[in-house]
Amino acid sequence: MRTLAFAGALTLAAATAAFAAESVGTAPPPAPFQKVSKLVKLPDFLPGIGDLYVDPATLPAGPFLAYDRDGKIVSTIYMVPIEDLEAKKPFDNLPAPGGAVDHTDIYFNAGHPGVEKPHIHVVLWHVPAADEARVAK
Amino acid sequence: MILSRRHILRTGGLALAGLSLPAWTAEGGIDIRMRGDAVGADVWFDPVGFLVGPGATVRWRNDDAGNSHTTTAYHPDNRGHPLRIPEGAVPWNSDYLLPGETFAVTFAKPGVYDYFCIPHEMAGMVGRIVVAEAGGAAPVAVDDGDAVHAFPPVADILHRGAVHRA
Repeated sequence: MRTLAFAGALTLAAATAAFAAESVGTAPPPAPFQKVSKLVKLPDFLPGIGDLYVDPATLPAGPFLAYDRDGKIVSTIYMVPIEDLEAKKPFDNLPAPGGAVDHTDIYFNAGHPGVEKPHIHVVLWHVPAADEARVAK
Repeated sequence: MILSRRHILRTGGLALAGLSLPAWTAEGGIDIRMRGDAVGADVWFDPVGFLVGPGATVRWRNDDAGNSHTTTAYHPDNRGHPLRIPEGAVPWNSDYLLPGETFAVTFAKPGVYDYFCIPHEMAGMVGRIVVAEAGGAAPVAVDDGDAVHAFPPVADILHRGAVHRA
């Protein structure tokens, strides 16, 4: 009986995750996500990132959801200010609604409208590395 | 230091010779480009230091396909920044420029004009324009010790006309 209940819980969790990924799998994602270029003055499509959405209440860390030109999700991005890391500020339990992660990139960014200070991009790619070209330009 | 015509003409001479200065020839001005690398890790003005004569127009152009930039004078009117342009000179703030957009300023008063990019000042994206007239005294910058980042020395700008990043 306990085994059945555990299996049921796993199935429910997997179904919930699948639903979450499905709901944000194509652009535009549902509210409260908004298109970043409508919130701040940035290009609609960012080379190397794609078409970007965020819930403004979660700034600066995000998650940001990035889509290719066909509206398919390619990555989930977190933007963590360097000064917050230096102040030992934790970023716990950040949502990850984008589905399965293929690989992760972490790199420095000097800043941009919306996150106007040097910060780190943590990029959870939902596509293989070879498919990053879908948002290269 | 008294400036000769040679100092002031050097910039124009370089532009005419096509040497590393992006000429804005259509309107007689000179472009300063806003640039960045592919992932936004590195951003800069090019050239970072520039010499012009009084009345010259400088135009900033965002050549960074993945980011927005501003050219913003160091002035208390601009987010309370310290005054780093000549007293009485009119401050400017382009607001965000998307890729391909431009913003121009005409410099009437001799002196040293320091400026920055709003989202990238902390990352070191600052620049300096020296406005000098032939026969005049060399302009003097506000104490560089007050600046968040190092600006190209005025003497280098006077000597080279345009200073690019090392």
